Amino acid sequence: MKKLVVLGLAMAMTASMVSGVYAQPVQAAEGEGLKVALLLSGAANDQGWNQTAYEGAQKACEKYGYELAYTENLEAADISAAFADYASAGYDVVIGHGYEFGDPALEVAETYPDTKFICTEADASADNVASYVMACEQTAYVEGIIAASMTETDKLGAIGPIPGDSLVKIINGYEDGAKSVNPDIEVQTAWTNSYVDTQLAQEAAKAMIDNGVDVIKHCANACGNGAMAAAVDAGIWCQGDSYDQSSLAPDNILDSALYNLDVVIDTALGSVADGSFAGDVYNLGMADGAVEVLLSDNLPEDVKTTAQDAIDKIVSGELEVERDYTLRN
Amino acid sequence: MLQQIFSLSFMTAFLAAAVRLAVPLMYGGIGETIAEKSGILNIGMEGVMLSGAFFSFAGAWYSGNLFVGLLLGMIGGLVVSLLHGLLSITLVQNQSVSGLAINMLMLGVTSFLFKLMSNGQGYQQIETFPNIAIPGLSKIPLIGDAFFNCDFLTYTLYVLLVLTWIFYKKTNLGLSFTAVGEHPQAAESAGIQVKKYRWIVMVFNGLLGGIGGAYLVLVQLGVFTENMISGRGYIALATVILGRYTPFGMFGAALLFGAANALQIRLQTIGVSISPFLLAILPYALTLIAMIGAAGKNSEPEALSKPYVKGAR
Repeated sequence: MKKLVVLGLAMAMTASMVSGVYAQPVQAAEGEGLKVALLLSGAANDQGWNQTAYEGAQKACEKYGYELAYTENLEAADISAAFADYASAGYDVVIGHGYEFGDPALEVAETYPDTKFICTEADASADNVASYVMACEQTAYVEGIIAASMTETDKLGAIGPIPGDSLVKIINGYEDGAKSVNPDIEVQTAWTNSYVDTQLAQEAAKAMIDNGVDVIKHCANACGNGAMAAAVDAGIWCQGDSYDQSSLAPDNILDSALYNLDVVIDTALGSVADGSFAGDVYNLGMADGAVEVLLSDNLPEDVKTTAQDAIDKIVSGELEVERDYTLRN
Repeated sequence: MLQQIFSLSFMTAFLAAAVRLAVPLMYGGIGETIAEKSGILNIGMEGVMLSGAFFSFAGAWYSGNLFVGLLLGMIGGLVVSLLHGLLSITLVQNQSVSGLAINMLMLGVTSFLFKLMSNGQGYQQIETFPNIAIPGLSKIPLIGDAFFNCDFLTYTLYVLLVLTWIFYKKTNLGLSFTAVGEHPQAAESAGIQVKKYRWIVMVFNGLLGGIGGAYLVLVQLGVFTENMISGRGYIALATVILGRYTPFGMFGAALLFGAANALQIRLQTIGVSISPFLLAILPYALTLIAMIGAAGKNSEPEALSKPYVKGAR
């Protein structure tokens, strides 16, 4: 009896451990569509970075009649293996979502020349590897302009998770945007060094509020929810990320930066569908609809106009936002 | 910049942050102290706290009542600790393996349930417990705001710390519980039912760890996010060792860790020109240094994490 219980528990635990790391077919293909796999570094329902990609991939696969499988919560060490697993299982396209997928994709791609590898936010390219980078610094720049127009203390706060390239460029773009309005403005930054430590993000925001900050921007995935909570508590402005986060802070939100991964993934899979797929690094910005700033109704008309002006100039190419990957503090 | 750091307002706010960051560790730590005093090592504290966090959120969300949330969070923690009890007391399995498996299990379970709960909906949020300033005490400069302008769970913790200390230092029953962790065979021959005692400590381990997780949701954040305990359960284990298995030692260790974490995030915001990577190491480096300082004085319960079979030698 005891042995049975142990066996049962052991099996349950094993099952729970592997659940994150095995392929989960989401929808069966109609007709003879290609097989697409999506690799995520976090949870597919993280209400942020990974969820947008997952939903975008679902939409695009429906459109092209492809079959989608995904693997979530991948640790850096497991990425190569996950790429190879899908490629050897006969998947036609494997998408790695995030900068960290670039190098492993290059590594595996040589072995599987018939599989197309697509990475978001990476700088990897080879014959069968294409990367799509979103110009998140453009949205961040506009958000900086908005924040600088709203602040009364001339102190802004920006909170990020782990200082990786695709996040550093957001924080830097934000600072540049704010300083384009007022060169003397102070932008305080903090990194939680975690994607999940929600309380620490909240503490970072509280520290900034104690320092006199009255607008807080975050790009910290799910743990950014903590920063929003602190802003609401203190009654100051905040700026959302990845999703329309207005329901988290209805009276305090100025805008949300949206990263339309459905557009990115649609563009990528579209190139596979029409045969134009080629290994390269592609930049997708506001003009492509890949990134946008969703303005909230809490913004006064004049700030809305200022923001819209900046957006129009970026879309038309009149205003070029510098992409800066260097950590500034 | 130094002026900014050594100002009274910075120090006051910093101490308050340290306490906020330390309270979840203290709840986990006190639950773990009680378990380890009687010989059970629950590495699964991370899972216990995560369960407490999720179920407190679910309870408060569906009932609209924070106390229902707290109760459910405690039960959520309890169930996980009892699972560890089943494996380590009744089935006499390896406690480290059981604890680690529980952590992975609970990460999966809470993420899965949260997925079901939040499916197709926008952000889910709940109200949080308000702070209650204690008249007089909360006006003490520097420490008043940090320690006496808190929520009721923090005050409950102070009482628990004192009670636990009295229990182990001053009562016969406390001595019996300690004996179970030091020499279970001797305790058994003195008429103490070792297994029963160990089940009792697992109940406290679960209830208190559950509150530790619930504190994050019900007092601080008002939201649940996946894997939100993010290592606090493991830090709680370290505070127990660092605090030499005493409630107040653990309190000091947790406060040290909370202070280091509060300091590194606050230094970042005032623009200290040290890499954020280095600053993030600060809490862990301090913990290591403190452990080196405490080296050589072993106060670990003799029978800690050793499976106990009645009658066996």
